[in-house]
Amino acid sequence: MADSTHPNPGPPALLCDNVVKLFRRGRGLKKKVVRALDGASLTIPQGELFGLLGPNGAGKTTLVRCIATLLIPDSGTIRLFGHDVFTDSLFCRQRIGLLTSGERTLYWKLSARDNLRFFAALYGLHGRDRDRRIDYLLELLGLREVANERLERYSSGMKQKVSLARALLHDPDILLLDEPTLGLDPQFGRFIRQFIKEELNRKQGKTILLTTHYMDEADELCDRIAFINRGKIVATRTPAEFKREIPHKEILEVRCLGQPDTTGLKHLDGIEQVQADFRDGITTLRLVMPKAEKVLSEVIELLRPQVRLLGIDVKEPTLEDVFIYMTGTSLGADTKEEIQ
Amino acid sequence: MNRLRIWWSKLRHYAGAVWAENIKEWKLELTYKADFARGLIDPVVYLLPYLLYGVALVGGRSSENLQRLVGTSDIITFITLGYVFIGFLNMALWAMGFSLRKEQFYGTLESVFAAPVPRWVFTMGMSLHSILHQLLMIAVQIVFILAVFSIRINPLGLLPTLLVIALMLVALYGIGMFMASFTLIFKQGWLVSEALSSILMILTPIAYPLAVLPAFMQQAALFVPTTYGILTARHFLMGEKISFTLNDALLRLALLSLLWVAFGLLVFALIERQTRRAGTLSHY
Ligand SMILES: Nc1ncnc2c1ncn2[C@@H]1O[C@H](COP(=O)(O)OP(=O)(O)OP(=O)(O)O)[C@@H](O)[C@H]1O
Ligand SMILES: [Mg+2]
Repeated sequence: MADSTHPNPGPPALLCDNVVKLFRRGRGLKKKVVRALDGASLTIPQGELFGLLGPNGAGKTTLVRCIATLLIPDSGTIRLFGHDVFTDSLFCRQRIGLLTSGERTLYWKLSARDNLRFFAALYGLHGRDRDRRIDYLLELLGLREVANERLERYSSGMKQKVSLARALLHDPDILLLDEPTLGLDPQFGRFIRQFIKEELNRKQGKTILLTTHYMDEADELCDRIAFINRGKIVATRTPAEFKREIPHKEILEVRCLGQPDTTGLKHLDGIEQVQADFRDGITTLRLVMPKAEKVLSEVIELLRPQVRLLGIDVKEPTLEDVFIYMTGTSLGADTKEEIQ
Repeated sequence: MNRLRIWWSKLRHYAGAVWAENIKEWKLELTYKADFARGLIDPVVYLLPYLLYGVALVGGRSSENLQRLVGTSDIITFITLGYVFIGFLNMALWAMGFSLRKEQFYGTLESVFAAPVPRWVFTMGMSLHSILHQLLMIAVQIVFILAVFSIRINPLGLLPTLLVIALMLVALYGIGMFMASFTLIFKQGWLVSEALSSILMILTPIAYPLAVLPAFMQQAALFVPTTYGILTARHFLMGEKISFTLNDALLRLALLSLLWVAFGLLVFALIERQTRRAGTLSHY
């Protein structure tokens, strides 16, 4: 397949093979070993936008930090464009753009520009090239107006943009984005998602590893997704493939004006679950069942006398449904302390 | 040719990183202007009373006893020069570890360690900043002292003194790396600094001539880089008698630099790797 952005596929952008990372905590009798990564393996070809989806404590950040050479795994190998991250770490660091989760990864007492200047120098940029690159990124991310203000005055969304600019300074080949929209208000979240997908992946052709515990984010952005749970990669598929994993289930979504009485629906043959969400005068019903077609007319008959119907849709199961189906854990769960 | 170009660009990259780290430290420091000013003036406030006390005890700034011991009698210049070197020693023992601790506290240490420069480049930027800071402090101190006392030095001695100081700073960089590694593993890394600081402080003949130390301590003092700094500086600037030649001093300092830098880099590398294994790099 000839693809204009990657004429030469070469080695995979990232290859993790059986990565194990243990954390030892406490001393003596209270000593506890946490298996943060328990043999995680994945391969990301160049140019792919790859999502790592899993609940709190699944090991996402740990894997990112191992790849970024900030942690040394207990065993397993990690190769970046064919180079081992442990033995060839300077080379690998030069090709990685890292966006770590957590807010305080920049100097809050300095301006965006001063932060970027400092990190640019660490990545080997200097002189006019450096200034041009910084101006370009500030412009691209809509930060030019505020570039000379201290970060402590920024909102967390704007700080995240600066972090993203920092990750992009040296025009890296692969981006490691750890929960890039965590804690941002929806407007910034949307901007960052769009930026990642359209600008970075589509336009600039960058390979991206993105971690998240928001299934919508993974679904919307990623070419392929790996489910991670308790330090293991459970499965890797495209979002569409994942949704076909749950057999014999469909979701009928009905939107209507007002609030209908749903007790009748629950007694219809085949309906397993009814979720109702009432917002701004509109109710959205999600009915889970093996085959939507069979009950469609009965549902309409039941609701039509009560409310005005706005739309009816047969929906695929969400990634969250699949995640629960495959792991028995919900994405909203916190698995941090259960791991041994 | 190609290899030369790679070396050149690498050198430029690292030099740029050292400089950027230095600039960044200055900018951070200058966001707290009042603290900064106090940090410059405090040392003088400590030093001046001691000088006056010394003058009162001796009954003038000239001491016959000192003359007999080291061949020069001017206690003011003698102590002031010693004090300048205390500053350097303190800097090596504290500044780099403190900067690292600060990065951990800000949460920026991982961002910095994820960048494609070796650790020694980054710490060298830190020590460049602290050396410049120290020089500024020395300048301020000298201005204040000159307002009260005159300092009598031989200007011809400045050149060899600077040479010795330059070499001494290399050795102090090694000590600084060694000390800084403790801040990476111990929450109370400063305890180690404190202990080593006390030992080195006693061994370094700042306010007293080396000759007043017991014999074994005089021997031990010869392994401390600042000893040579102080003694040769005072020798060239005010005629203190020393038991070695300039060549000896430079040779021994070069050797000490080599040892301390190798030792400092090694310990730092081992400990830094250990923190990446244990996952404690970003803990503070
Ligand atoms: N430096 C560390 N020291 C000790 N334990 C750690 C360390 N970092 C992570 N862990 C533990 O390893 C496990 C995996 O954590 P990790 O941060 O990788 O999860 P995550 O998938 O990123 O979760 P989150 O959504 O909370 O960010 C957790 O049980 C966590 O408590
Ligand atoms: Mg995480």
